[in-house]
Amino acid sequence: MSALPSSIPTVVVTPSAAADAYAKVGRGESDPIGSSFGATLERAVAGAIQTGHEADGQSMQAIAGAGNITQVVTALTHAELVMQTATAVRDRVVQAYQDIMKMPI
Amino acid sequence: MTDLSKALTISASGMDAQTTRLRVIAENLANQDTTGSTPGSDPYRRKTISFATKMDNAIGVETVQVKQIGHDESDLPLRYDPANPAANAQGYVKLPNVNSFVEMMDMREAERSYNANLSVMQATRSMLNRTIEMLK
Repeated sequence: MSALPSSIPTVVVTPSAAADAYAKVGRGESDPIGSSFGATLERAVAGAIQTGHEADGQSMQAIAGAGNITQVVTALTHAELVMQTATAVRDRVVQAYQDIMKMPI
Repeated sequence: MTDLSKALTISASGMDAQTTRLRVIAENLANQDTTGSTPGSDPYRRKTISFATKMDNAIGVETVQVKQIGHDESDLPLRYDPANPAANAQGYVKLPNVNSFVEMMDMREAERSYNANLSVMQATRSMLNRTIEMLK
């Protein structure tokens, strides 16, 4: 292990640390790493919703005959791509969770 | 904003500029026979369009915008037509300096340029889509 460059972070899981983490989950406390991931996901979803709202606004203007068609196309493309990324990441996370749950203990 | 998203915005600005250009061409073609209304008055003058680079500070890229819509100050052709309300004392009418062949060529150019920007947009979209596909 000493051959590894110092820039790569290593996670050392000792039996006591693992027991501690299990106890925390049992008490309903969340792990700081877990909560930060949740926050990241929340921000991503909020961004996706915001982009969706912008696309909606542009589309409504275009339907009313006031909007610029190229702006509608760009807004919708942005919204579509952000949404696709969000769903792809979510699917991956859910799959990872299920893989862990299926793990024989 | 990623470079690919920026490319989408730039292409959209190019498409917008070409749309305005097509509008000006439409005006020129529609008014190619418009003469003045009082004796000796000037007819419709051909409109010209020029483009300029616009720095989009929000995303840090150079987009395109319409710089100016001006008038073509070249000589107006004359035609002998004493019955026209715009005819001068000698019976000559000033005609618009619009050449339909020039306008048709400009129109083709605007169309090609618009399509080029559209192709960039499609390529960008497909690149982004294919990258997201990798996540699935």
